[in-house]
Parts: sequence; C-alpha cells; structure tokens
Amino acid sequence: MNAYLAVAAVLFVCGVMCMATKRNGIGVLMGVELVLNGANINFVAFSKYGLLGLDGQIFSLFVIVLAAAEAAVALAIALNFYNNHLTIDVDQASELKN
Amino acid sequence: MSPEIYSEVGSLLKWLLTAAWLLPLLGFLVEIFGGYWADRKSKVPAYLAVGCIATGFLLSLIALGTWVDAADMNLWAFESAGHSAEHGEGAEHGDDHEHATVAEHDHADAHDEEHHEHASADEHHGNDPLKTAFSGTFYRLGKFGRLDVTLDWYIDGLTVAMFAMVTLIASCIHIFAIGYMSDELTEHYEDHFVHLPGGRHFHRPGRFYRFFAYLSLFCFSMLGLVLAGNIFQVFIFWELVGVCSYLLIGFYVERHSASTAANKAFIMNRVGDFGFLIGLMVIWTWFGVFQFANTDPAHADQAGLFQMVRTHDGTLVTEGEGMEKTVSLQHIEGEARPSSIPYWLLTVAGLGIFAGCIGKSAQFPLQTWLPDAMEGPTPVSALVHSATMVAAGVYLAARFYPMFTPEVLLVIAYVGCITLFIGATIALVVTDIKRVLAYSTISQLGYMMLALGVGGWIAGLFHLITHAFFKSLMFLCSGSVIHGCHHEQEMTKMGGLYKKMPITCWTMFVGVVAICGLAIPFVTLPAIGAVAFSGFHSKDAIIASALTFSSLNPVHSLLFYVPLITAGITAFYMFRMWFMTFFGKPKDHHVYDHAHESPTVMTAPLLILSFFAIFVAVGGEAGPLVTLYGAAEPAHVAMGATDAGNIGLNLPSHEQIHNFHAQAGMAALLVAFAGTLLAYLFYASGAVDPGTVKRQFESVHEFLVDKWRFDVLYDWMWQRPVHVVASWCTAFDKYVLDGLIHGSASSVVKIAQWDRKFDEAVVDRSVNVLGEVTMSVANWFRGLQTGQLRQYVMLIAVSVVSLFVLVFIFFPGQ
Amino acid sequence: MSVNEIIEHALKGEILPRSVQIFGPEIALCLTILALLFVRMFEIHRRLPTNLVALLGALIAFLGVFSQFMYVKGGSEIPAMMALFQAWGLTPEGVGEVGPYFTGLLVHDQFSVFFRLGLCLFLVLMIALTVLSGIPDSEDGQDFYTLLIGSSVGMMLACGANHLLTLFLAVEMMSVPSYAMVAFQKGRRQASEAALKYVIYGAGAAGVMLYGLSLVAGVLGTASMPELAAQVSTAFAGGSFVLTNPVAVTLALGILMVLAGLAFKLSLVPFHFWCPDAFEGAAAEVGGFLSVASKAGAFALLVRFCIALTGNPDPSLAGLNLSLGIGLGVAAAVTATFGNLAAYSQKNMKRLLAYSTIAHAGYMLMAVSALVIIRGANPSGVPGLTSAGLDAEARRCLEALLYYLAVYLFMNLGAFAIVALIRNQIFSEEIEDYRGLAGEAPVLCVCMLICLFSLVGLPPLGGFWAKLEIFASLFQAGRVHWFMWVVLGIAAVNTVFSLFYYMRVLKSMFLTERPVGARSALVPFRSAPGLYVVMVSVPVLLLGVLAGPLSQTANNVARILLR
Repeated sequence: MNAYLAVAAVLFVCGVMCMATKRNGIGVLMGVELVLNGANINFVAFSKYGLLGLDGQIFSLFVIVLAAAEAAVALAIALNFYNNHLTIDVDQASELKN
Repeated sequence: MSPEIYSEVGSLLKWLLTAAWLLPLLGFLVEIFGGYWADRKSKVPAYLAVGCIATGFLLSLIALGTWVDAADMNLWAFESAGHSAEHGEGAEHGDDHEHATVAEHDHADAHDEEHHEHASADEHHGNDPLKTAFSGTFYRLGKFGRLDVTLDWYIDGLTVAMFAMVTLIASCIHIFAIGYMSDELTEHYEDHFVHLPGGRHFHRPGRFYRFFAYLSLFCFSMLGLVLAGNIFQVFIFWELVGVCSYLLIGFYVERHSASTAANKAFIMNRVGDFGFLIGLMVIWTWFGVFQFANTDPAHADQAGLFQMVRTHDGTLVTEGEGMEKTVSLQHIEGEARPSSIPYWLLTVAGLGIFAGCIGKSAQFPLQTWLPDAMEGPTPVSALVHSATMVAAGVYLAARFYPMFTPEVLLVIAYVGCITLFIGATIALVVTDIKRVLAYSTISQLGYMMLALGVGGWIAGLFHLITHAFFKSLMFLCSGSVIHGCHHEQEMTKMGGLYKKMPITCWTMFVGVVAICGLAIPFVTLPAIGAVAFSGFHSKDAIIASALTFSSLNPVHSLLFYVPLITAGITAFYMFRMWFMTFFGKPKDHHVYDHAHESPTVMTAPLLILSFFAIFVAVGGEAGPLVTLYGAAEPAHVAMGATDAGNIGLNLPSHEQIHNFHAQAGMAALLVAFAGTLLAYLFYASGAVDPGTVKRQFESVHEFLVDKWRFDVLYDWMWQRPVHVVASWCTAFDKYVLDGLIHGSASSVVKIAQWDRKFDEAVVDRSVNVLGEVTMSVANWFRGLQTGQLRQYVMLIAVSVVSLFVLVFIFFPGQ
Repeated sequence: MSVNEIIEHALKGEILPRSVQIFGPEIALCLTILALLFVRMFEIHRRLPTNLVALLGALIAFLGVFSQFMYVKGGSEIPAMMALFQAWGLTPEGVGEVGPYFTGLLVHDQFSVFFRLGLCLFLVLMIALTVLSGIPDSEDGQDFYTLLIGSSVGMMLACGANHLLTLFLAVEMMSVPSYAMVAFQKGRRQASEAALKYVIYGAGAAGVMLYGLSLVAGVLGTASMPELAAQVSTAFAGGSFVLTNPVAVTLALGILMVLAGLAFKLSLVPFHFWCPDAFEGAAAEVGGFLSVASKAGAFALLVRFCIALTGNPDPSLAGLNLSLGIGLGVAAAVTATFGNLAAYSQKNMKRLLAYSTIAHAGYMLMAVSALVIIRGANPSGVPGLTSAGLDAEARRCLEALLYYLAVYLFMNLGAFAIVALIRNQIFSEEIEDYRGLAGEAPVLCVCMLICLFSLVGLPPLGGFWAKLEIFASLFQAGRVHWFMWVVLGIAAVNTVFSLFYYMRVLKSMFLTERPVGARSALVPFRSAPGLYVVMVSVPVLLLGVLAGPLSQTANNVARILLR
C-alpha cells in the first residue's frame, strides 16, 4: 500500500507545484487535476488495502465527476478572462490588490 | 415597613418618576418627527420641551414629598438640633430660609414634617439604606442562562434628590436656550465659523427644533440613568447619554472643530466603557445578577448585588489572605452559583466600573475630551458637560459604592486628586471663558471623586449637587456674555462689561463666590450655621474628609494638601475670570460697544439658579439636602474602617470627620481668601502685572497652555502606533508576502532562465554575460511586481506546511 | 430506493418515505432550477419573469423548512400549522424522528433544520434584493438564479453532512456555482479577474482538503462522521497519540488539511487572500451572498467536523482536543485582528466589508474554539465546574455561534444591500462618493447606521448580544485553559479597533456635505428599496431588544446536537 500512497503524495506535490509555478491559466487547472487525482489514488488504495472498504471507491467516483464539473466552470471563467484581457497569463490578473 | 405600604408607596413613586422620565422622550419624538414638517420659525418645539421637563420637575417634587413621607424622615431636624451643632448660636434664620424650603420641596410635606417628633440624628448615622429604598422590575428583556436581563427601577433618597436636581436645572436651561438659540429661528442661518472658499460663510436652514429634540432626548437618557435599577441598564443609558452628548457637541457639524470634538468625546468615552464592559463581564459570570438590591419584601429571596457582597450591617466577609483571599457572598442559599468571589476579582470589577466613570466624568487620564466638548452650544455645556452627564460618573461611583474594595477607593482618591490639580492649573492660563469653566468642571469633578475615595460619601454627593447648581449658573452667565458680545468667547477682548450687563455680572458673582467657598469668617447663625453660599458647605465637607483620611493614613497625606492648595487656585482663577470679563478697561471697543444685556427669558433662569446656588445647601451637613440623600448612604460608611483591605487602609467614620471639621473649614477658608486677594491684586487693582509674572515663568506657562501636553502624549502613545500598525497590516499582503513567497516561486524561474543564458553565453563566448545576468535580475524584480494569483496558491501549500511544523513544535507531548 | 419507487409513492398519494420527506425543500429547489431552465428553453420568460419563478420556488422551500422547523420544535399538534404539515406530508415517523437519513449520508436534527431555515430565509431575501437592484437582466436571469439556488442547495446539504463524502460534496456544491456568480458581469475586467482568482484559489483549497479527507478516512478506516471519534479512540488506545507515531502524524496532517479547506470557505487568515479580491470584483449582491450564506454553511460543517472529532471522553486524547481548540483560537484571534486592521485604510466599500467579513469570521470562530476547549475539558481538572456545568457551558458556546450567525445574516445582508442600492443610484462604491448621502437618502443611511453599529456591537442592537455571548463563552473557556482569556482580551481590543473604520463610513455619510455636482441618490422611504432595507434592519433592532426567544431556541438546538 505504501507504494500507492507514495505515488499519490508525489502527484499531490507535483500538482501543487504546477499550480504555483505555471503562468498559463490552463496549466494551473491541470495542476488542480493532478492534486485531485493524487487524492483519488489515496482513496482507492485505502479502499483496496486498508479498512475503508467500498466507501473509498465511491468517493473517488464522485470526485472524478466533481472534477469534471469544476473544470468546466473554471474553463468558462478562464475563457471569460481571455475575452476581457486577451491573455490567459494569470500574472496579468493583478489589478485587484491591497 | 409592611409589604402593603411598601408596594403602595413603591408603585406610586414608580409611576411618578416613570412619567417624569418618559415625558422628555415623548417630547423628543414629537419634536423630531413634527419638526420635520413644521415651520422653522416656530418656537413651539421649545415650549413643548420646556413643558415636558417642567412637568417632570413637578412630578419629581411630588415623588420627593411622597418618599420623605414614606421614609418617615424629618428634613428640618437641624433647626432643633442646630444648637448642639458646632456652629454655636447667633441670630435667627430669616424668611428667606423658609422661602427656600418651600421652593425646593413640596409645600404641604414641608409643613407636615415640622410636626414630626422623630429625631433624625440616629437615623442618618449608620442606618440601613435598603430600608428606605424601593425597587422593582418594569420589563424583562431576555433570560440568558441564569442571568435575567431586565429593566428595573430603584428609588431611594439619592434617586429623588437627583431627579429633582436634574429636572430643575434642565428646566432652567431649556428656558435659557429659548433665548440663546433664537438666531436659529430662520430659514437661512449663516454660520460665521465656517469659512468657505471665496471668503463666504456657510448657509443652512435653522435647526431650532432639532436642538430642543436633542435636549429632550438627553433628559430622557439622563433620568433613565438615575432611575435604573441594575448596572446593565445603567450601561444602556450610559451609552445613550454618550450618544446625546455626541449629537449635541456636534450640533454645528459643519465646523470642523465641532465634528472632531464630538468624535473625540465619543471615542474617549468608549475607552472608558471598555473597562465598564470588563466589570460587567465579571459581575455577570460571578454574581449572575445585575440588580443593585432587591428591597421588595414580597421577593425577599432574590438578592441584589449589594445584598450579596455585604451583610446587613455592611461588612465584607472575607476568608484567606493575599491572592487566595475570597469574599463570601450572602443570600444565595439553594442556588447553583459560586458561594464566594476572589477578592482580586471583586477589585477588578470595581476598577472596571470606575474606568467607565473616568471616561464619563473626564477624570485623569481621559480628561482631554471635556474642554473640546465646549464646541457645543453653551446651554449644552451647562446641562450636559457641567451639571448632569459628567456628574453621572460620580453618581455611578457613589451608587456602586458597596461593591468597591478599599484598594479601589484608594485608586479613586488618587485619580480624583491628580485630576483636580491638573484641571485647576490649566484653568489658570486659559483665556476662553467657556474653557475656564470646563477646566474648572474637571477640577471640581476631581474633588467629588476624591471625596468618594477618602470615604466621604456624603461630601462627594453634596458637592455634586451644589456644583450642579452653581456651575450651570456660571455656564449660563457665560452664555449670556457670549450672546451679548455676539459670540465672542475670548476674555482678552472683554472687560468692563458690568455696566452693560449688570444682572449677568452679579449672578456670575454668586456663582464665583459659591465655587470658591467663601464665607464670612467667625459669624455663625443658629440652625443654619455659617453665613455662606452652597459651595462653602460642600467644599468644607470634602476638605474635612480628606484631612481626616490623611491624618488616619499619614502615607497618603498628599490627598489633603493637594486639594487644599487647589482650593486657593480655584479662587484665583475664578475671580480672574470674573475680573477680566466684567471689570477693568474694555479691551476691544468693537465688542464693548455692541454688548448688551440679554433678554428676560435668559436672565430669569440666571436669577432662579443663583437663588439655588445660594440656598441649596442651607444648614450644611445637618441640613435638609444631606438628610434627604444621606438616607441612601451605604451602611458601612458611617462607622469607617481600620486596617481594611489588603493594603491596610483606614477609612474615617462620621465621628472622626466631625472632629476635624472646624479645623479643615478654617484652612480652606484661609486659602480661598488668599486666592481671591491674589486675583484682585493681579487683575482688578493692577498692583501686579500678569504679563511680568507670565514672562517670569515662561516655561511653566507654556506647559499649562499646552494642557500638560496630554494631547501630544496621546497622539504619540496611541494614534500614531495604531496608524502605523494598520498600515503595516495592509502592506503585509503587498510587500512581505510578495517578496517572500513570490520571490521563492520566481527564483525557480530565474534559475532556469539564468541557466539557459549561461549556456548560451558559454557557447557564444559572448561578452554580454554580464548584461544578460543584469537582465535576468531585472526580470526577477519585475516578477516581484506582477502575478499575485500564483503566489496566493503557493501560499496555500506554504501555510499548510508551516502550520504543520507549528503543530509539531507545540503539540503537547506525553 | 429507486427514483421509480418514489414516483410511484407520490403518484399514489401515499406517505412518502422518511428521507424524501426530510429532503422535500431541497427537492423543491431542484425542481425550481429545472423550471427555470424550461422557462428559458420554451421562450416563455417574456410572459413569466424568471425572478418570479425563482422567488416562488424559494418561498415554497422556505415554507417547507419552516414547517419542518415548527414540527420538530412543537410537535405535530400546532393547529395553525396543520395545513402546512399536511401539504408537506410530514409524519411523526418521518420528519418527527431525529437521526441519520439517506443511508447515513445526511443527518436530520434541530441543528440542521435551524441552519436550513436560516439559509432559505436568506435565499428569499437575496432573490428579493436582486429583483430590486436588477443585477441579472431578464435575458440571463435564469442562469443567475440557477447558480444561486444551486449553491444554496449545496449549503443546505452542508448543514446535514454526516459523512466525509457529503462534507466534500457540499463544499464543492456551494463553491462551484459561486465561482460563476462572481464572474457574472461578463464584460467587466474586474469581475473576470476576481472570478479567476477565486476559482483557482478555491480549486487549490479543495484539492488540499480532499487530500486531507483521504488521509483521515484512510487512517481511521471510516468516512462516517459519527464513527470518527470512536475510531480515534481505538486507533490510539492507551495514549499512543503522540507525534512520534507515524499514523498519528498522518492523521494530524489530514485534519490540518481538512481544516485548511474549511478555512478557505471561512476566509480565515492565512487562507483569506481570495476574499477581498473576489468581493471587490463581484457585484455587491454576490458579495453579500458569499459573506453570509457560504459562511453559515461552512460554520455548520466546521462545527459538525469538530464535534465528530472531539466527541470522545478518552483522557489520553486530551492533547488532540486541546491543540485543536487552541489552534482554532489562535487562528480566530489572528483573523479578527488582521481583518479589522486591514480594513482600516480601505477606500472601496465592498473591500472594506470584505475585511469586515474576515474579522467577523474570526469572532465566530472564537465560539467554536471555546466549544472545542470546553468539550475536551476534564471535569475534575476545572475548579468550580461540574460535568453538568461543562455541558451547559458547551451549549452556551454553540448558542453564541448560532445567535451570532442569525444576527449576522440580517446585519451583513443589510450592509451589502445598501451598498448595492446606492451603487444603482450613484454608480460608485467608493467611500469618498458617499459623502453627505444622509441628506438625500436618509432611509438607506439610517439603516446603514443600524447595521454598522450592530457590526461594531453597540447596544441595544442585535450584534451587541451576539458579541457579549461569544465573549462570555470565551471567558468560561478561559477557566479551562488560560489561553482563552488571551483570546478574549484580543477580541475585546478588536471591537474598539473596528469602531474606527465603521465610523469613517458613517462620518462621510452623515457629517460631511454632499459635494456640488455629485450624482444624487434619492431613495424615498415609501419605495420598494426603502421598505426592503427597513425590513432587513428591523430584525437587527428586534434581536437587540427581544433577545430571549432566539437565544432560547438556539440553546435548545445546541442541547440536542451535543447530547
């Protein structure tokens, strides 16, 4: 089980790093997907080798669906941002501050 | 008293005082809503307000009579007992004395009392105040756990005396204000103190009705404060009078000084209220009740605060020593409450409540708001900022006296002592006539606090009431002067006004003599005692208490010398003001030529008030006034105390104070005369030139003119740090996080870029390496400015990790 | 139970199964969403305005929850309510029975009904406000209301969450529509930027939270919240909950990550960064929704999660309770201080209210930390308090939180509504431009005064009681651990700080002159906006004068929850 957990942890850290360093908005969203999938692997691993049982499997199914929904909304917002700013660089989103 | 009589009298008193309390509220509502549509030139709002408060005064008088009758008290006992008093014998008391009593108290009752054979001497030494008090509940606001939050009433001698005093003074001031505010009766009021660009003045519609509406609201709040039966309700009205004061100080909102002063007053009061809240919190958690005392025999099982803390004869039952010391609570059998309270916590509660009093009564270190509050119209200064609201702090300290431990009393005494000295010294150099009076008010409030602190409960409240009369008188006189001189307030531009406004001049003289405590030495009359105005009696009582206290506690002898010397200073600055205003040569002919005596509607209240300033204290400490509210004195005060509290304080008993009375009286009289003489030499006879003295003591004068530099001190201590901390916090997002978090994020980028550049540089053997590096550093710097979103996201991870590290460090181990 | 069976039941007019009965209002809201979509699809929105449909649906749901509330509170025998009870088919075995439903994913108790009632009321008020201020026009109204109602359903789920899966689902359901709502003014640069920041920050926080959930659920071997406490006891029986134990470290990390996710919803420092930006970019109405409703939902989740974790009496786990409580206390103190100080020099009204929201989340979190501390206390270790006394104090903490939330609903909604209504008149949200408004729109300004004074906590307004109750519960918690007294002190100092920046707004409204040439804002008392703000402000006053009934109800709710 530890191997699975390690993979999940690596995915999680990669996802966070991706979110924090990518300047492209779409890239940031991909980072989010990585984080969520890291958690999913955890759930499935705990379900298979731990005590969590079927709950874990169901959890990850829900998360997959939710991730799709969230990505849809996020992409729509990113598109809207592009329409207004003609760029998708998140560093350009710095008018609101202080 | 049997329960039937109790409930009968209690409900009668309740209805009378409630009516007197709510009438101004009614007036306020009618004025504020009616005034909105009414004609701005109409005086109807003023008549309405006067009607409400005057009716309230009549009702208060009836209540006073009822209460005296029910308490079975002989107010005139001093006439028969006067022969044994220290004042010896002399001529008879005149008609004017009889006249005074009739005006002050209900006629019929006064005569009934004459026939009582009851000797009052025993009653007012060491009686149980709860026996003559009436209490009950109007309305329950809500119940939180075991705490019942209610609106209560509590009526004893002090309540009725305060009611009569407040309504009487308020009536006079309302009448005065009809004249004073008459220039607001217009559609186009021109405010000469607001300068618009282009040298024009500000124009606005008159606000006559609004002024009277605010005054009525204030009267309602003030009376509610006095009638309140629990400390929480006091807090509510405490805040309400604060709001009214805010509104009235800021009456001329367009003047920048006025709106700033209003804010200052409100915020400084909030600082004091912070302490008040702490006190409330302690009381809530440890006592679970807010009521002062429950004297209704029908509900004898529900004890109030005073009944819990002290036994019937007023002793504080304590156990243990030092920090372990606790105070046992009485009357709480069969209830799930703590049976005792730590001594230090009771002290904290007392100090907290007193902190509220410091704010409201403008005591050191929160005294600076009161002089600024003079930006309000003069009737407001007379009513709110001299006679009633600022005295509310003293009133509350007196009302809450049973809850105070000796440590708290000592703090009160020292705060009062410092305040009275600071106030008096600043008043020496101020040249604005209203500000002289304001600093004098601060100083006199200090006297009251000092009296309470040294165990002179009676003396402190005595001075509260006499001061209310003569100080409101003097404020109205100054209002009359200001009105007559067309809003000129600088004394340096006045002088010689006694010819132009004789009534104002001589009524002001009454007030000045009263506050200085002058008397004709060595002449005493039988029954009424020394030939002097009211201020002499009360100040005499305070000095006597202070002297007794310092002779019992030699360590604290400063508490006697400072007020004694200050009595001289008081006489000096008061006569200085009087001489500068009314005598000498006119200094500004423009002001002098246009000065005129005020109309009757303004001078009549002056005459009424000066009458009371002379006679209200007739009979001194054996007189009717002291007998009246003295019945409310907490039981433990009369006996005094030896070695009380953790600091071993000795508090004087009535007996001891009495023994020192003559000695203290002589000393006080002496310094007062000295001060008067000095003022005469300086400002009237011209024997000494004040300018020379000023130059001699240049630095001291500067220091006093700067008001002891308190405003500067507070600016450095509080305002600037708060501004700085706040700007730090807003800058936190901008600079620190930017630098820290984004720096680490973009350093990765930087290294990558630098690496690539380095490779290219090596391959190309370019001499531009330096330029490229500089470029990348510039990129890095530009990177700091942009892109906050990624840094936000990075911060999620960084926060979680750092919090986790914190958990690791601080997790309680096995 | 399949959908077929439920429809069968409904068609035959039989008594509905328990879960469906309880879930009725949510179903009504879902049907409203469908109706909204149909209205658009069949082009009848020109005859039947979408805002009316939404308002109707929200009202129906509100009545549903209200009838449940009365049923649970007073039983089935309230004559005046009989018709409502029958209309919703409430039965003693159904709504009358408190406990888990939908196979334990959700739980039905007074606590959840109380929150759902508040949320439905808020939804109704919110839709009414959008009708008045006209932020969604008739073309895209149904999108806005779909999002609004969808988010509300998520929050109602949050109130009844009984399983870590529902916890996560609820957080996502309330977040995702609100991302879109922030971006709703599609053409505005600021709105799109705010939404981008919000969505990415939110997605990141959700990811962290989900990872935390996976750790907690995996380590403890269950995802059902009532079982968490018992699992913690068995897993660490005999005092092995120390941080040298790798399993304990994993669990602590998991809990921390879950709390971080919730802290994002509550905008606690240091997870507050999205809040000022999102509020400034979004319309004021959306800001009001985010600051009240989503806070309420998140607090319901936080309380449920904390109670689930700390519900065991095992003394060896006292360290977990204590560090959780103190950690929340520190976060609360820091949040309140940060929010109040940062609000100090704001110039934009929405940004100021955003920082004020952060500060208030801090105050409310103090009640939760007091609750955790008191529940974790060992009765013998606290002088002067019995076990029953501790229970009573724990109830008081929760009562304080509920009371605060109830007052907060009205006062904060009032403030945001007034900002929105003023914006419609003068097209500005800068405090600068509010100068002298009192002369032109006295109703709005007086109501603003009531709301802001209540936010400061001045008597006799509702906010005063709310703060007082929180302070009292902190004081009691201080008897368990002295640190709570420190928090109390910080909280008290904060109330003084907060006075300044609220006063600044009021000062510019009341004490300065309207500049010449400024756009006028005439909102008379007898107009729909005037009446609306009065209607929202009056409860703030009422809750100050008549605090008894609500605090009694809140105490009952707390008693059942903590039983």
